[in-house]
Amino acid sequence: MECRVLSIQSHVVRGYVGNKSATFPLQVLGFEVDSINSVQFSNHTGYAHWKGQVLTAEELNVLYEGIKLNQVNRYDYILTGYSRDSSFLETVVDIIQELKKANPSLVYVCDPVMGDHGAMYVPEYLLPVYRDKVVPLADILTPNQFEAELLTGRKITTEEDALEVMDLLHKLGPETVVLTSTDLPSKRGDQFLVALGSQNIVKADGTKTSQKICMDMPKVDAVFVGTGDLFAAMLLAWTHHHPKDLKAACEKTASVMHHVIRRTMTYANEMAGPGKRPSPAQLELRMVQSKADIENPAVVRRTLVLNVFMYQCNN
Amino acid sequence: MECRVLSIQSHVVRGYVGNKSASFPLQVLGFEVDSINSVQFSNHTGYSHWKGQVLTADELHVLYEGIKLNKVHQYDYVLTGYTRDTSFLEMVVDIIQELKRANPNLVYVCDPVLGDHGSMYVPQNLYPVYKNKVVPVADIITPNQFEAELLTGKNITTEKDAVEVMDLLHAMGPDTVVITSSDLPSRLGDRFLVSLGSQRKVRPDGSRTTQRVRMEVHKVDAVFVGTGDLFAAMLLAWTHHYPDDLKMACEKTFSVMHHVIQRTISYAHELAGPGRRPSPPQLELRMVQSKADIEDPAIVLEATVIS
Repeated sequence: MECRVLSIQSHVVRGYVGNKSATFPLQVLGFEVDSINSVQFSNHTGYAHWKGQVLTAEELNVLYEGIKLNQVNRYDYILTGYSRDSSFLETVVDIIQELKKANPSLVYVCDPVMGDHGAMYVPEYLLPVYRDKVVPLADILTPNQFEAELLTGRKITTEEDALEVMDLLHKLGPETVVLTSTDLPSKRGDQFLVALGSQNIVKADGTKTSQKICMDMPKVDAVFVGTGDLFAAMLLAWTHHHPKDLKAACEKTASVMHHVIRRTMTYANEMAGPGKRPSPAQLELRMVQSKADIENPAVVRRTLVLNVFMYQCNN
Repeated sequence: MECRVLSIQSHVVRGYVGNKSASFPLQVLGFEVDSINSVQFSNHTGYSHWKGQVLTADELHVLYEGIKLNKVHQYDYVLTGYTRDTSFLEMVVDIIQELKRANPNLVYVCDPVLGDHGSMYVPQNLYPVYKNKVVPVADIITPNQFEAELLTGKNITTEKDAVEVMDLLHAMGPDTVVITSSDLPSRLGDRFLVSLGSQRKVRPDGSRTTQRVRMEVHKVDAVFVGTGDLFAAMLLAWTHHYPDDLKMACEKTFSVMHHVIQRTISYAHELAGPGRRPSPPQLELRMVQSKADIEDPAIVLEATVIS
């Protein structure tokens, strides 16, 4: 497999977020990963302390120039995640546009990180940049419920709302949308949360349709950091192997998440000791220890294919 | 295995040098790798063009402070390679000294990158820093012949010279020394180069012993970048698994190198086409493709134990 990913995300010296979370699993799966580190911090910002440096939009451009001057600016995928800087994000958009011109088949996997549980944790002015510039370029989008609501201006209270919101997101750009988590009630009880996905596909006879799926994911009683980054990276990998089968891609992705999180929880609780809540340092993903699961995720998630909608193309 | 490495090396967006060369293989072998990127460049400096930014000694210190404030500055290994900046190197030494106080069993694996084939390719003022400050805190060093000669002030023209130079290096600090390449004539002819290793140990009865090994390594007709970084990382890994058997550690390390290089050279020639010399991008190490060889290298050379 000859597949090159450009991943523009944070770097932390210790731990697994951003590029640290995405790179190893993709490499283990045989992807070439070029990585631009948007920041270099000692560790993620959930620890008691964190220190480091950020890359400016200018510096990002300089790095890209180097790649371009050597005429190696050809990528099959781009992957982006958490960003706090609108000019940085806009430079990312420019770069992606140029890379798409160099390779029209390029797939841009975008995690539109803006917030969760009803509150933004990036500056507000990033929303219009995401909505108007970033998401229109994205091919695969992995918003959580809050981000999906922000981008579409629609609230999600029922499954039907979620399906409509995903269709609205398709209209903004991406052919593949995964709502990575929602507050929707799960049929399996309150120990589960609901995730959904939607992929536009063109059938053999030319008709357009979309495959929509629903997944019940076990909730975990802990705050993990870097799991969203791992998710987006693994969704990249598994949609690459199952480009027309979102169900299979999501099953594998969710399974990797399950195994990594389970292993991490067990270890964290062991480290913390009985009755004590693990610390951020103890909760770092057990990434290298999960190599075998990353390579070959034993599917544990049952994915329900909701419906296959068919509609006529309005050409 | 619960083993944490702090690797302070370059980062390149594309390709495999510095931390890009060291991290993946170590992670594949189950090591936790914390990495401080001393620079971020688009690619290594052997391409026609390269662009990027460097980390200052102050910025390095700030990153280390973050780790320290969170009380997670416990490492089993530190790994360093190519540096161009004396103040950066001196900050690295300060950090290592502190880390060794936090964990006296810490092993510092140092590639004292100074030059090759008779000339320095880092600023001259790095030489005294390596000699007087860095090498004395190193536990494992991987100089080439030129670097070994420079650090000891002694030239190597025979195997006996090499053994003496390695003993001089031991006296400076490190208990394990591998001269990664030399101009010594190989028993297997001129398609091979000679590498040597020496490991000093203390027996239970307190007496000192030294195991010395010699490797005949297949030469390749290409200029690779990042192979030294991969070598140091893999020597870290295999001396971890074979702390008292330098012969085995070297056989594994040199074998990994062989597999990665062979795979890379085949691919590079395929890309370049018949009769054409591969370019630097084409010669980037086939790292992710070599995962299986990294995990479990088939032994392709036998190290000879020499007196």
